[in-house]
Amino acid sequence: MNRKIIGLEEGLGYMQDGITKIERILEGRPEPPFNSEEYMKLYTTIYNMCLQTPPDDHTQQLYDKYRQAIQGYITSTVLPSIRAKHDEFMLKELVKRWANHKVMLRWLSHLFYYLDRHLIACRSLPSLKEVGLLYFRDLVYRDVHVKVRDAVITLIDKEREGEQVDRALLKNVLDFFVEIGMGQMNRYEEDFEAHMLQDTGAYYSRKASNWILEDSCPDYMLKSEECLKKERDRVGHYLHSSSETKLSERAQHELLVTHVNQLLDKEHSGCRVLLRDDKVEDLSRMYRLYSKIPLGLKLVADIFKQHITAEGIALVQQAEDAASSKASNAAAGVQEQVLIRKIIELHDKYVEYVTDCFENHALFHKALEEAFEVVCNETVAGSSSAELLTTFCDNVLKKSGSEKLSDEAIEETLEKVVKLLAYISDKDLFAEFYRKRLARRLLFDRSANDDRERSILTKLKQQRGGQFTSKMEGMVTDLTLARENQANFEDYLRSNSAARPGIDLTVTVLTTGFWPSYKSSDLNLPAEMVKCVEVFKGFYETKTKHRKLTWIYSLGTCHISGKFEQKTIELIVSTYQAAVLLLFNASDRLSYSEIMAQLNLTHDDLVRLLHSLSCAKYQILSKEPNTKTISQSDYFKFNSKFTDKLRRIKIPLPPVDERKQVVDDVGKQRRYAIDAAIVRVMKSRKVLGYQQLVSECVEQLSRMFKPDIKAIKKQIEDLITREYLERDKENANMFKYLA
Amino acid sequence: MHKLGRGHRDKVQQFMTITGASEKIALQALKASDWHLEGAFDVFYSQPQIKSYTDTRHLEELYNRYKDPYTDMILADGITLLCNDLQVDPQDIVMLVVSWHMKASTMCEYSKQEFFIGLQALGIDSLEKFRERISFMRSELKDEQKFREIYNFAFGWAKEKGQKSLALDTAIGMWQLLFAEKQWPLVDHWCQFLQARHNKAISRDTWSQLLEFARTVDPALSNYDAEGAWPYLIDEFVEYLNENGIIQNSQLTDWSQKR
Repeated sequence: MNRKIIGLEEGLGYMQDGITKIERILEGRPEPPFNSEEYMKLYTTIYNMCLQTPPDDHTQQLYDKYRQAIQGYITSTVLPSIRAKHDEFMLKELVKRWANHKVMLRWLSHLFYYLDRHLIACRSLPSLKEVGLLYFRDLVYRDVHVKVRDAVITLIDKEREGEQVDRALLKNVLDFFVEIGMGQMNRYEEDFEAHMLQDTGAYYSRKASNWILEDSCPDYMLKSEECLKKERDRVGHYLHSSSETKLSERAQHELLVTHVNQLLDKEHSGCRVLLRDDKVEDLSRMYRLYSKIPLGLKLVADIFKQHITAEGIALVQQAEDAASSKASNAAAGVQEQVLIRKIIELHDKYVEYVTDCFENHALFHKALEEAFEVVCNETVAGSSSAELLTTFCDNVLKKSGSEKLSDEAIEETLEKVVKLLAYISDKDLFAEFYRKRLARRLLFDRSANDDRERSILTKLKQQRGGQFTSKMEGMVTDLTLARENQANFEDYLRSNSAARPGIDLTVTVLTTGFWPSYKSSDLNLPAEMVKCVEVFKGFYETKTKHRKLTWIYSLGTCHISGKFEQKTIELIVSTYQAAVLLLFNASDRLSYSEIMAQLNLTHDDLVRLLHSLSCAKYQILSKEPNTKTISQSDYFKFNSKFTDKLRRIKIPLPPVDERKQVVDDVGKQRRYAIDAAIVRVMKSRKVLGYQQLVSECVEQLSRMFKPDIKAIKKQIEDLITREYLERDKENANMFKYLA
Repeated sequence: MHKLGRGHRDKVQQFMTITGASEKIALQALKASDWHLEGAFDVFYSQPQIKSYTDTRHLEELYNRYKDPYTDMILADGITLLCNDLQVDPQDIVMLVVSWHMKASTMCEYSKQEFFIGLQALGIDSLEKFRERISFMRSELKDEQKFREIYNFAFGWAKEKGQKSLALDTAIGMWQLLFAEKQWPLVDHWCQFLQARHNKAISRDTWSQLLEFARTVDPALSNYDAEGAWPYLIDEFVEYLNENGIIQNSQLTDWSQKR
């Protein structure tokens, strides 16, 4: 089949016609669209021409023609039309022209499809579409992009100021920036985004500078929140999504970072004030705003910590002041009770803040912890926080306690007490005081409720581990066993006629390791009681050999009948007091020294005893001279004239201050603990530097107490002397474990 | 000696006086170091001691002179006699060096074995030789390494048999003696501090670490590391110095001039 050769001129002509037609259509001139015949004609012409062999191979010229045509069109029509306009109008024109251009290129690519394929295949030239785009970029974009960008930014700023702008237009312009990058984002990023960000920065910098001076902290935050939201929306409406992070950061920086200190420290409305005034909503906002800004968030957390610490310390100070201004002990005790209650409340309040305002963020948990670690380690009127907490527990757990609460409330309170314990660094001190109080409650039957005792021990066990509570649990169990044992003892008495103590006797056998250490005294027991002891010993030996019983008379209670002139009154006294009183069955009148000799007690003990019997509320003995204090030259007589409206009275004996002993005991325990820790560490590490050894020991021991570095050093040296460790010969800062 | 020039002769004399070596050794050493005294000392000290033959019979005689009539040991009287013979004060630190050579287990007595070991190590079998060796022994104290050995030896030697620690008074006495040799400006303050604040025996660790402290930490405490592993007592000492204004702003104020 012979195809007619299409000459160059002819071909070019066809091409031009086609291009012109499209141009006219796009220009909006009255021009009928392509009909299929025209279309086919053109398409085929190009097709055939591409297949023509040399010398009729004019594809290159066709290509060139195409290029020229595009270039010409752009230069003569497109560019001037854009240049002719300004601002928004220019943008509209640009958008229109760009849309047209894309359409044109599409049509032309279809029309001259084969040219495209042929050329690109043969000679690796840019496609017709690509050429067209490149021209647009090089001729139009290069020329106008600065003005376009400025126009866009102006519109953005207008919108920021509250004016309505044509968002669709902006979207189109920005899409153009993206598309003109031809696969790369660099045009958008370098020619638009960078400048937009800078402008944003400047914009918010100005705003922030004004607002920070004029507005309160909450208002400023509201405005900032608004602005940041709007900027995010802006991205959704017309900016490219890749701008979101950068835009937010820039705006955030100007609004929240640059002035962060001024904002948080604002005198009448800053963070401290918001905390003080419980402005939960504002604080939540503050958190939300700063949650992405670590530096800022840390500042907020610090203020939070300082605030809690200050409030806590203030409570402590209140208690301290109240305690020192009141003379009597009782009132001081109350203040301390109140203090613990208030600290619990403080804790509850701010835990809520952490969960609600601060969305459980770790920084705020830490701030809370650190604050309470300070507050909970303060001393009040000489009592350490460990002691205060045990006194508080005592009040909750004992029958006559000041805390009259429902079971549920008690449970809750005990929970909270255990939580507070986590903040106290001297936990071993707490354990020791607790044991002492527990002992008193158990032995003098002052515990309100066995279940409660067990409940708190369970909670303590959960929080601090089994080792913490094992002794205490042992104590509670001992009492249960003691009751059983007593029943057995009574059976024994019944079945053994020889065993007659002569007095009703109840014995509680304590397992030594569990209970606090008590001094057993060398009290000369009254004869009546000696028999009791013997009988019980007899019984006990039938149950177990190999156990040694040590009698702690200081813990005993005695019911004595006092046959006074008016009436007989039953006196409930301690065993020691009973021993004193029974002396008066044999003698009418005794001197201090006689009593001392007969009973074999220490001066301290004896003074206390005699005071409770002759100078306190109930004067069972009368004293010569009738002064309010006991001196070694006093004489005592049975006060037969004594009477009371009750038939049975309890004569209290004020307890010795245990504090010193507890502190000493704990000190000793700590030395052992430090020793053990050092050995443990060195045994596993074999060789270790001093600093590391100290820090590992501190870590191990911190569960129970905060060890004194000097104490650790002393123990290390002790271990060197005992040949467990030695210093390295070369480096005196290194220690070696000696097996 | 006649062939030597005066300068060389002087050097030989000096060498012999300081090291206690014989003329022959002195010549050897000096020649080896091209007649530089310091070099000669290095040569001499780095060579193993030339053990001259010691006659055991002479040693027996010597031992018998000093030994206690009732026990087979040299006791306090014997030692005093020895010191007299040597023309040395019994409190002289050189006697400590002698004890060190003997590896004596405790002060104021020498067993026969210790006596023999010591004198043989020093190449002594007569009083004359013993006297000659005195200056050598004094020189040993100047050697850093030997001084440390002697110092640490002193602890075990001075303490009571069976005790782990050294009684404070004895320790102070020893320190005064030892630090007179090896000048330490803080020794008096240290002793005062101990008497005022410590009043207990001194552990071996504290003893040995004190030397390191004296050696490495400057008297104004400018390079003292409070976080270091110094024994607790030394930390307290530093506190004491600071509290009492003896060290102010890293200056050691000399109290002796302030009265």
